[in-house]
Order: sequence, then structure tokens, then C-alpha cells
Amino acid sequence: MRPENYQAKSQPPSNEYELNFGPNHPGIEGNYAFKVKLNGDEVLEAHADAGYLHRGFEKLMEGRLWIQNIALVPRICVPDPVPMEVCYSLAIEEIGGLQAPERAQWIRVMQLEMSRLAAHLFAFGGHAATTGMYTPMFWGVADRDLVLDRFEELTGGRVYSIYNIPGGVRRDIPDGFLERLSNLLDYLQSRLPDYDNLFFTNQVFVKRARDVGKMTQEQALKWGVTGPNLRATGLAFDVRRDDPYLVYDRIEFDIPTEPGGDALSRNLVRRAELKQSIHILRQVIDRLPSIKGPIRCPIPNPLAWNVPAGEAYTRVESSKGELAYYVVSTGGDKPYRVHVRGPSSMHAVQVLENLAVGSRLEDIAQIMFSLDACPPEVDR
Amino acid sequence: MSTIDNIPVRHETPVAETGSKRSNPLAHVFDELVNFCRSRSLFMLHYCTGCGAIELPPAMTSRFDMERLGIQPMVSPRQADILLITGYVSIKTLKRVILTYEQMPAPKYVIGICSCTVNGGMYWQSYATAKMLKQYMPVDIYIAGCMPRPEAVISGLRTLMDDIESGRADSWKKYFQNYDYYLGNQQQLFGEHWQTPTDIIAEAHHYELITEQTLGEHTALLEKHQKPLDALEMRLTGKEKQKT
Amino acid sequence: MSKELNIWLDNLLEDIESVQFNRKSSRRVRVDVASEALPALLELLQGHASYVHLSAITCVDWIDDDEFELVYHVWSYETRSLVSAHTRIPRDPGVYLSIYDLYQPAAFFERDIHEMFGVYFEGSPDMGRFILTEWDGPPPMRKEFDSESFVNQTFTWEQYHPQWLKDIEEEGGGITTRPEDVR
Repeated sequence: MRPENYQAKSQPPSNEYELNFGPNHPGIEGNYAFKVKLNGDEVLEAHADAGYLHRGFEKLMEGRLWIQNIALVPRICVPDPVPMEVCYSLAIEEIGGLQAPERAQWIRVMQLEMSRLAAHLFAFGGHAATTGMYTPMFWGVADRDLVLDRFEELTGGRVYSIYNIPGGVRRDIPDGFLERLSNLLDYLQSRLPDYDNLFFTNQVFVKRARDVGKMTQEQALKWGVTGPNLRATGLAFDVRRDDPYLVYDRIEFDIPTEPGGDALSRNLVRRAELKQSIHILRQVIDRLPSIKGPIRCPIPNPLAWNVPAGEAYTRVESSKGELAYYVVSTGGDKPYRVHVRGPSSMHAVQVLENLAVGSRLEDIAQIMFSLDACPPEVDR
Repeated sequence: MSTIDNIPVRHETPVAETGSKRSNPLAHVFDELVNFCRSRSLFMLHYCTGCGAIELPPAMTSRFDMERLGIQPMVSPRQADILLITGYVSIKTLKRVILTYEQMPAPKYVIGICSCTVNGGMYWQSYATAKMLKQYMPVDIYIAGCMPRPEAVISGLRTLMDDIESGRADSWKKYFQNYDYYLGNQQQLFGEHWQTPTDIIAEAHHYELITEQTLGEHTALLEKHQKPLDALEMRLTGKEKQKT
Repeated sequence: MSKELNIWLDNLLEDIESVQFNRKSSRRVRVDVASEALPALLELLQGHASYVHLSAITCVDWIDDDEFELVYHVWSYETRSLVSAHTRIPRDPGVYLSIYDLYQPAAFFERDIHEMFGVYFEGSPDMGRFILTEWDGPPPMRKEFDSESFVNQTFTWEQYHPQWLKDIEEEGGGITTRPEDVR
């Protein structure tokens, strides 16, 4: 703006002002905006403003074939794309009456847990960066890159794998892949003490994150919170245990909870989930060589496939919470309606608006990252 | 994995140099020195508009280190050189991106990462994304991919650095020279009352880049309704409204 | 324990009139309700059968029947089963009651359905625009809105004719099939 165009306005003196945490902000994950009303440093009201990442996915999916949507679907949640593919494939399998063979189900479990590892490593990094500690962010992104290398070896794509199709997976695992994955898990497990020293038990972070964005269990249930955020209030609900899909009922794993309900507890729950994912992956690596069979059940020609009429609601535990797909088919070669229920729909909008009230300005970014709110899921 | 030097990149055809007013033969040495230094210390404004934003942290952090090339992320557009458009641009974001672009001081460079900036990409049927980024602001380099690997991003940045050093990357001048065209596309998408706080025509006068394509019917339309923009009015709840 | 609750729930739902009940599997139940009875059914499920978690509200546009179908998916942590309550409302006024006082997450879904389909929910705390704040066209998820024709009207495409293609065309080759011909 040129100086001659500036026109001063007289405002009544007050401590209250309104701030636009715009879409381009280092404290906001992705493009998401907040309008906060502040009294000095303290937030009085917060209002979420989404839509910066809107692509109209549900409309796009109605115009493409069933198999073409597999390419679209991972792009709904960018840090954690695999649960989207798996959930969509499970929905079509339920409608179409297909049953993925057992080897494919174990491979799907492996991908889901690898994606959970990658997403949690990214989430740690993001959370640390909002408190001003940038080293865990570098470590988290670097370790995540090693997981992405495994993804690239398995599927060909670092981030968007497009590896699951209704009926199974596209290709079998390469030779020696399980060994390299096992080495990676050993490496990650050996890194955990370093992460603890730097980040999880570091008093600088603990004091900064304690009692920030505190949620009680009743509030969490009332606001529809799921995933690690709900487990951080003490309720052990996990879609893998309570609504099992794939072969999770044959794998043993714990569901970690923490009683606190604040940002620190959410972080500790994610750390514990990281360990549990490593545990699950080790079981998969042990079992997978002995499960032989096809990796795909026969499906008709995908370019001319009329899925029978029906509807299905499938749920999957993504790293952020409960992910659900409602797919309606009227017997055509394109979906009639696909509704994506992302976990961040609750977390980034209602929960964040409610938790931000009463907190300080510098904590808003920390609350958002600790809730692991993913704006592309809100906007679709 | 491919190395940096064997990823094929495409160059724009070189733009003819605008005539320099100075006739001193040593003046171009200073220009070359300035271009050399400028190409080695670029600040990028990481406006993560879409999916491609997830591959920027790997490119910035230690594995594919971008900082060794001198490129560093910067939070404010007023201090940034490069505007990285990582991914598709929804219409709502495009308004903010244009505002951000106009806030950046010249010389500025725009890099369009991912195929969605080129010709719509995966979301070409979508009613909410912009298809060709170069209709709304001039783009220097495109890095195609869905999404491009960090090595590809760094390779594109190296190409941009070479272009800056040789003087080819002057698309920011095109914005002033063809402002009517860009404003026309923006008005077609956002409505006739689209305006930004930045006075582009005055800046074009300042940089002496006015051509006959700068002013036209669209800038006349802009002039008719241009008024100083009010401060952001926020309606948080129905109960309290801002007093301005 | 959950099996007994499931059986109790099945009996309960079969007894209520104007409710069509269909248990699809051990964890999925489909219920078709008339639109007047749905809020009462949800209140019953929440209060007596511990269905406290609203997973999603979906709207399906049945343009041939001239109706919107609203599907409410509720989940119970105790019985571990999901009840999908389907109801249909006429397309023309497109107005329905909000269940915000029962389930707070409904505010997000109702706002989303209002933007995308144009269905108005009475009693919902905020029916303002959330995602499509700068959109002034028709509600985009309705079946009569064709996204591709809208895009072809509003945007232009890159004219893609690079030099290498010109070289091939000079030799007599070129692009044989364009996507527009196949669709």
C-alpha cells in the first residue's frame, strides 16, 4: 500500500482486538484460517475458517469410475494417505461382496501401520516446532523419510501409493523387503531414547505443553473426539479393537491411554502408539512369509465394472482418529455418493474453537498440532 | 534413485533483454554480480497451497537440504523472493495468493510445483480449483509431478538460480507490463469488484515498466470502483459485531 | 454383554412402529425411519442404549425420487455396534430439524450439508457458510449441478502444442485419440 493511500481510523482504546490467523501461517498445519478475538494475549473467541483446500472431492468421485477414484482418494488426507485407500477399498468390497485374500489383508495391515508411523513422526515434529524446538522437527521429518523409502520400494510412490484396490493389493512385496523393514524398525526403536531425551521428557517441552488445551473425558465424548485425542483423556476406544477390520483381531496390541487430556498427554499417547505400531509390524513381519496365496481376488474388468447396488459404512483407525466412508452404489460403473468423514472434521473445527477459548495466543498453534488436525480432511 | 544432474528439466525460451539506459560498459558487471548474489540467497515464502506441501519439509531439512543452496523459508511476503505454489490453488486461496504476490517486493519469482498449476492436474473437473496458474500471475518455473520428489524440487530451484544468474528470470516485469491481461482473468474469476490494496499501476510507473498492455478495459473497470479497503471485519458470533 | 444388548436393541427396534429394521451384520444395523420419528429415535438410542457417538450425517440426493435421504450414523461404545438411521425428506423445501441438542458434532455436518446440498436445518447453531464462503453458485453437490460443464464454462485450458509434437505431426503422426472423444 502506498503511504498516500493510507487513511488512519480512530479506534476506541481497548485491549480487545481481532486477529486473523490467515491461511499462510507457520503455526497452522496446512491452509486453514482462524479469526480470534483477543484480550491482550488471551483468547476470548475463536472462529475457524476453512475452505482454502476445497476441491469438491465428493463431487469429483461421482464422475469417475470406481477404480479411478483410488487415485483420488489418498489426496484427501495428505500426511496419512493409506487409510483412505484402504477404507474406500473395504467399502467397495463390502458392497460388491468381494473378499480380499488373507495375504492381501496382512499386507494392508502392514501399510496402515507404516503410514501410522510416518504420520506420527510428522506430528511430533510439527508439535515440537510450534513450541520453538526445531530439532525434533528435523529428526521427525528425517525418520519419516526412511519410512517413505520403504513405501517407495513397496509401492513406487513416496507419499501417494495408490497400492490398494478393491479386492486386494496391486503387487506383491519385493524380495528382502521384510528384512529392510525390520532393520528400519530396529533403527526407530533405537532412536526412541534420543527422542525421549530431547523431546518427550525434556522439561522445557513438558512445562510448555502441560495443561494446554485440556479436555475432560465428558467433553471429549460430547464433542465427538476420536483417536489418540480421545485416548489421551483415558477412554480406550480404538476402531481396530472395537470394530475390527482386516486381520486386526488376530494381532495382539495394547491401546495406550493417558489420563491427562492436555497437549502433553496427546503427545505421549502418540509416542506409545508408535511403539505399538512397531510391535504390530514385527508380528506382521513374522507371519507374512508363512501366508501364501494370491494378493488379489478376481474382479471384473475395472474399466467396465458395475458394482451391485447397495451401501456400506466402513471405518478405519487412521493416525488422527476414526475415518469413515459411506459409499452408495446404484449398480452403475461410477459411485452414486461417497461421503468421507475425516477425523479432523471434529477436531479442527469444534474442538479447536472450544479449546482455544481461555488459552493464550501462542498456544493456539500448539493446540492445533497436538490435536493433529489436518485441514485437507475438513475441506475435502 | 536419480541424481540431481540427470533429471531432465525444461527451460523457457530466453527473453530478450530490455534495453539498458546506462551506456557504461562496466555497468553490466555490477548487474551480473548482483544477479549472482541474488541467485544464491533466495528467501522463499512457503505458501503451501495444496498437497505438495508435504514434500517441502523433506526438501528443506537435512536429507535433501535446500539451505545449502542458500534458500531459506521466510514467513513474511514482504521479505521473500520466491513464492512457492506447492500444489493446486483453490479459488479461495487464489485470492490470497494474488494478494501475497503483490505484496512481495520486486524482483520476485514464482515457482509452480505439481501438475495442478500447469493445467489443472488431477482436479481438472473440480469447480473449486484454478486451472492455469499463469493466467493469474506470471510463473517462472514449473516443476511437474504429483507430487514431485524433493530432488525434483531442488533441481527446479537450481534451474531458477541459473535463470536468475543469467538474467532470464524476469517474469515479475511481465506482471506490470501485461497487468490488464492478468487483471482481466482475475476479474473474470472473482467478479468485477475485485481489487487489492496494492497499487500496481503506480508501481509500474515507479519501475518504468508501463507498456500499452498495462492499461486497458479491465484497469478502467478497476478504477471505477476502487476504494481504500477497510480493515478486516470479523463476525465472530451473532451477538457481537465489530464497531468499524 | 454386547450380544445381549444387541438382542435387546433388535427387540426394541422391531417393536416400534414406523421403523423398518434390518441387521446387516453383528456390528451394523440399518434402520429406516419416517422423518418425523427420527429425532425421537435418536433420543431413545442415546438415552437408553448408550449410542453417544455421532459418527456422521450423510445426505444423498435422489433426484429421480425428488427426495433427499439423510443418514445418521451413531455408534455405541458399549454395544459396539453402529446404527445407520435413514430418513427421506422431500427435495423441494429441503428443511429438517437439527439434532444439535442431542449430539454436538451434528453442527459440523449440518452446516456442511447446508452448504453442499441446500438443506436447511432448523435449530442448528450456525448455518452460515464454512467451506464455500466465496461461492455464489448453486449448492454444488446436487445432482443437477454438473461440475465438468461448469469448469468448461469458467476456465480455459492450456493450448498444448509443443515443438516436439509439431515435429511429429510434420512427419505425419500426431495424437490419435483425444479424451473428449472417448468420454
